[in-house]
Amino acid sequence: MSRLDRQSFLGADSDRTLNELTVGYVGLGGGGSHVAQQAAHLGIGGHVLVDGDIVEDTNLNRLVSGTAKDAKDKRLKVDVAARTIKAVNPSARVKMCPVPWQQALEELKGCDVIIGGLDSVVAKDDLDRFCRRHLIPYIDMGMDVHDTGGAYLIAGQVVLSSPGCPCLRCFGVVTEDGLAQEAKRYGAAGSRPQVVWPNGVLASLAIGLLTQLVTPWHRGGVSSAYLEYDGNKNTVRSSPRVAMLGDRPCPHTSALETGDVRFDIRGDSKRKPSSPVAADGAAAQGATRRLLRKLGIFLRPAPET
Amino acid sequence: MKFTFKATPALFARARQDLARKHPFAHERVGFVFAGCARADDDLIVITARDYMPVDDEDYIRNPNVGAMIGSGAMRKGLQRAYATRSALFHIHTHGGRGTPEFSSVDLKDAQNFVPSFFNVVPAMPHGLIVLSNDSARGRVWGAPKKKPVYIHRFVSVGSPLVRYGEVA
Repeated sequence: MSRLDRQSFLGADSDRTLNELTVGYVGLGGGGSHVAQQAAHLGIGGHVLVDGDIVEDTNLNRLVSGTAKDAKDKRLKVDVAARTIKAVNPSARVKMCPVPWQQALEELKGCDVIIGGLDSVVAKDDLDRFCRRHLIPYIDMGMDVHDTGGAYLIAGQVVLSSPGCPCLRCFGVVTEDGLAQEAKRYGAAGSRPQVVWPNGVLASLAIGLLTQLVTPWHRGGVSSAYLEYDGNKNTVRSSPRVAMLGDRPCPHTSALETGDVRFDIRGDSKRKPSSPVAADGAAAQGATRRLLRKLGIFLRPAPET
Repeated sequence: MKFTFKATPALFARARQDLARKHPFAHERVGFVFAGCARADDDLIVITARDYMPVDDEDYIRNPNVGAMIGSGAMRKGLQRAYATRSALFHIHTHGGRGTPEFSSVDLKDAQNFVPSFFNVVPAMPHGLIVLSNDSARGRVWGAPKKKPVYIHRFVSVGSPLVRYGEVA
């Protein structure tokens, strides 16, 4: 019996397929930490962990595998996720990028699928466009707690945005109004209420979409999805927007714009090593601290799910 | 350096459908794929297909010794578009059947003559040659006109399901 025997219904070759896959995680807070843990259990072999934050006490209500000691030691979130993944699958290929995702582009470009847990509408939009430019399916998670006048509504969504299919703008997850409101707050998404169980639901949905995408166990494959979660009614439904948009091509991005605009193969021999990716936690923390000191702009905690 | 070639299933399907059409006299069809490129880590270059362009019927030349011969008009159209869009240019044809296809010796010999000339028009991008089967592909890519071509390490159909094939060790 192997570790993955109980999921053999995913296909005769699913162990190999999952092991060869590399998934990028942008944001390893409440949502991302759940996703990384489940991906490790599922047998995903390659993991690119991107988050510049350290663990704080206020994260511990939802950060899977995060401990009080991690907060006390100011441990990086990527370090905590790597520890979790390696504990489940010691042979996993893990790259840690303790930087804002815009500084881990080379690592992300090599991913087969990217899963994002970002609150900022601008960041969601940018990451979705980045993924489309590089033909990478993007799974976006988001949750919010709305004050409805004395009562609260927990809501969230998981969207699969694939090249050639509707994007986050098509689905209305990214809107001009949302971008404008965030711009008024100088790009800050704000410190939103977050709890562990909706993040767990959304992370499970994200992993379900990922699995359907790479090792479909039924004929109804999925290349595009928008799942709406109502945390008060405890329901998940496919958004009516999916049926409404159908196979309509995305008008916001063009298939003719793939790749890097300034790519030049001739620069290859002069090329320097890629952005800093530390191989171990201690080195990563040191590198991040030095980087953060240099770049005061990144000292503000990145929004997370 | 490794090269991965990514395209949507729609683009692969469009190419296969077009290349499977009968030509009035040529035994097979050829086409062009235009692509962007990006550098990933681990010395990987990701080639991302943008569009497929068929070769017009009138741009084929009668030659009983080869499956298909195309004239300078077809090359000019492909190169013009590659130049205008700053794209990597791939000559593509199909051998049909199943499994990973192999290039014929004629394919490789001809490509050695014409692919390096693509760099005269778009020197910043890699260029190459792709052969399809009905469910897989094989590719050769040049990083520079005078460099030896290498096999495309892997093809990825970015759709549902997401499939990787044609892997070269």
